[in-house]
Amino acid sequence: MGTDTLWNMASKDARTRDGEMLQGTLDLLILQTLRPGPAHGHTIAHIIEHRSDSVLQVEHGSLYPALHRLEDRRWIASFWGTSEHNRRARYYRLTPAGRKRLSEETTRWARLTGAVNRVLKLVEE
Amino acid sequence: MSWFRFLRRKRWDDERARELEAYLENETLDNIARGMPPEDARYAAQRKLGNTVLIREEIYDMNSIAFLETWQRDLRQAFRGLWKNPGFTIAVLVVLALGIGVNTAIFNVVNAVLLRPLPFEDSASIVSLFHVPPQAQFPGITRFVLSPANYLDWKASSTSFESMAAYATRQLTLTGGDQPEALLAAVVAPEFFTVTRVSPERGRAFSADSDRPGHPKEAVISHSFWLTHMASNPNVLGQTLVLNRETYTIVGVMPARIELKAWSATNAQLWVPLVWDDADRAVRGNHNYLVVARLKSGVTIARAGAELDAISKRLAVAYPKDDAGWGSTIMPLSEMIVGDVRERLWVLLGAVGFVLLIASANVANLTLARTLGRRKEMAVRAALGATRGQVLQFVLAESLLLSVAGGAIGLALASLGMPAVRAMLAGQLPRASEISLDPRVLIFTFAISLFAGVAAGIVPALRAGRVNLNDTLKQGGRGETRATGARTRGLLVVSEVALSFVLLVGAGLLIRSFWALRAANPGFDPRNVATMSMFIPPAKYATPAQQSAFFDETLRRTRALPGIEAAAFVDNPPLTGGSMQPVTIEGQPIVAMSEQPEVATRRASPGYLQTMRLPLRLGRDFRDDDAYVVLVSESMARQFWPNENPLGRHMRFTFHPENLWEVIGVVGDVKTGDLAESPRSTVYQCTNKLAGPFATLVARTSGDPNGFVKSIVDVIHQVDRDEPAQNIQSMEELVDTTIAPERLSALLLGVFAALAVALAGVGIYGVLAYAVRSRTREIGIRAALGADMGAIVRLVLIEGLKPALVGIAAGAAGALALARLMTGLVYGVSTSDPATLAAVAVLFFTVSTMASILPAYRASKVDPLRTLREE
Repeated sequence: MGTDTLWNMASKDARTRDGEMLQGTLDLLILQTLRPGPAHGHTIAHIIEHRSDSVLQVEHGSLYPALHRLEDRRWIASFWGTSEHNRRARYYRLTPAGRKRLSEETTRWARLTGAVNRVLKLVEE
Repeated sequence: MSWFRFLRRKRWDDERARELEAYLENETLDNIARGMPPEDARYAAQRKLGNTVLIREEIYDMNSIAFLETWQRDLRQAFRGLWKNPGFTIAVLVVLALGIGVNTAIFNVVNAVLLRPLPFEDSASIVSLFHVPPQAQFPGITRFVLSPANYLDWKASSTSFESMAAYATRQLTLTGGDQPEALLAAVVAPEFFTVTRVSPERGRAFSADSDRPGHPKEAVISHSFWLTHMASNPNVLGQTLVLNRETYTIVGVMPARIELKAWSATNAQLWVPLVWDDADRAVRGNHNYLVVARLKSGVTIARAGAELDAISKRLAVAYPKDDAGWGSTIMPLSEMIVGDVRERLWVLLGAVGFVLLIASANVANLTLARTLGRRKEMAVRAALGATRGQVLQFVLAESLLLSVAGGAIGLALASLGMPAVRAMLAGQLPRASEISLDPRVLIFTFAISLFAGVAAGIVPALRAGRVNLNDTLKQGGRGETRATGARTRGLLVVSEVALSFVLLVGAGLLIRSFWALRAANPGFDPRNVATMSMFIPPAKYATPAQQSAFFDETLRRTRALPGIEAAAFVDNPPLTGGSMQPVTIEGQPIVAMSEQPEVATRRASPGYLQTMRLPLRLGRDFRDDDAYVVLVSESMARQFWPNENPLGRHMRFTFHPENLWEVIGVVGDVKTGDLAESPRSTVYQCTNKLAGPFATLVARTSGDPNGFVKSIVDVIHQVDRDEPAQNIQSMEELVDTTIAPERLSALLLGVFAALAVALAGVGIYGVLAYAVRSRTREIGIRAALGADMGAIVRLVLIEGLKPALVGIAAGAAGALALARLMTGLVYGVSTSDPATLAAVAVLFFTVSTMASILPAYRASKVDPLRTLREE
């Protein structure tokens, strides 16, 4: 419902443009990260950064709105637990709906990247 | 997005803050583990995470419903704006509070009288059953009470009803205390308690065989009677009451909640069983009992009605002498109780609905003027990116805020006025005592407040949303050359005038009907006549001789009182209804009773003509030694002896066929039931040889009748100290009572119409005043270019009168169409009465002219030099 006023819109755009570009992929990455088991935000951020060999430089803060959105859609669920540093931390786990979503998204991603790769290959040749 | 999250978004935000803090702690500890100095570790963690405030804000936004957020903001801004503009705000609040207040007050009445269910379990299934009498003998009468035999047959042969009970009301005289007291009793078949599903709060209902002759007499008393007469004695059961010289045993006390004044069966101080012997049960042609029944579940009124029709047809064939032509009708009990008040109330509710529409149009006008005065503000909003929807929403927020506040004030006014309304309507309206605020009224008020808000706000809102950015901002501070939205405001004036025109025509018609009724000749002289009724118990005055001895002695002593010019007894004085009886005329063919003509039959003593000043047209008055003589009304003489001399002719009354009655005179027609009725054939039996337990004493006095009441009551008590006098009132009061509903409708509608006209006048004035103000520059230029004052005044007057005239035309058309709905409410005037229409049109023209004069005068005072210099 776009009833925010224009100037509001502008500032918000600047803030979230990166996030929006990433949105689809970031969702996928989070869901994938949670597949082995529950993790809290800090861990998720580091895993994504680490696994992508720091190619995907996620600003860790932008992870949280994404987590919120995924939880809203009931793909992940959260609970409070204790971190490896013995601090309180909010853990996220994959829900059955999230698991299904992940496999769909993975397939779609594979198809998409496959297609894009084929196109790129053509150009190279 | 869930509502749950929306409502708890503050808590959710705290949760997020804690989560982000947890990240920072974990990351800081990681950094320390990597060997960073602790103070740097925290900064590094913060850098990694980013701006936590922005993150939280983003999540907060995801949780909010933008629509509601902005409403909240708009309402806050609207409140501030209104606070800063108290003139506008107060004007609008007054108009809305009046409009909503009268609607709440009237709906409150409609709710109590028409909508709220009766205080019985599943009251929708309780129905009233009536005969439809043969129209040849009972022209215009659509329902008639039942005879015992027909009631018993309906009850025995119908299958649609769970239970059925006959009832009647009777006055019983309670003796044994200091003073005799007349009690209002409901005489009911034992099934009455099954039909209504009321069980006494103490004791029991009647035993099943209590309706047999010879069964010990039982009585169930009302809760109020228990409080007032039995001192709330918990051991009241088994006590006895002496009523009409017979001993009744109290077997039960009814609950207070069913003391419904509007229904004769519940507006009683006590209930006694209806006892019929075999002779009573066989009576088929004499109709005296009301019948109430409960439908079996799943049976519709239509189906039950069809069954009763079939039964009536069978009875008409089986007993043609009594039942030919007698049909049946069925209606919900609530409809019978409310009766013809329904129509009046809907008209009143419609009228206040109009008032609200007019009020809304007025507020729309004011808001429009205000909104256009704020075009720059709106343009700035739009320039800053507000969409049309947002501007619309903002303007609507303002008018909704006003209408809800106005509604609250209106509700407060209506509830403050409620005791007054209840007092005013008591005795004029069934169920008036039940008028009270309930959730339905609150919901209604809230709904119409929202309606008024949207109705008043939508036009200005749409216009505000249409602001042309470039033009408005470019125009800067300069005055406008053209009054923006002139057409919209003109339309609002047209609708205001049209609506209030219709309302005023309705009020005018009712007021003229009321005048016509008051001017209607009742056929007698109601001035200076005292009336009071009495009932002498048959147990004490068993024979006609004993009864007439009481009446004769009372009359003799009353006539001897100083200041009493004449006195007489009559069973029912004019305007109070009374018996209709079939008659046969000597020398005319004998027909079955069901085909005999019915005439209003009154019993009157000698002196009645003199007391009521009934004109004697032919023959002579009653004499004290008369026996079996009658006086007939002019219309009766015309009906039965057209072009013949009725004097010396004879007739019989079918219910008492043993005597032949001689016509000795013809008297003027009187209104027997109400002032609106057309003349009805009436026969007066001389009471010298026929007394009865009921009678009304009428006495013509030399001055204000109320000054003589005490001495007359004393006379009655001299004759029999156990005899209470009832219903003491002057004949003029009685006449007034019969036209009270018309007076009330005319008064209320008149008040509402006046309110509407005032609102419309203010509306025209407001529109013109605004138009003149916003066109000051144009008028100044015109003046500078040589337009004379007259031309300018004419310009403004025409601008004001044009929409008013269109409104008058539209209103006249609407009034002609809508007044037809009031056909049943008017008397002596046509619903398309040209005089009323013309008077209302003239009135509106005057009001519009007056409303336009002041703005026109102001326009003529515009100083061209100053206006031009300001450019």
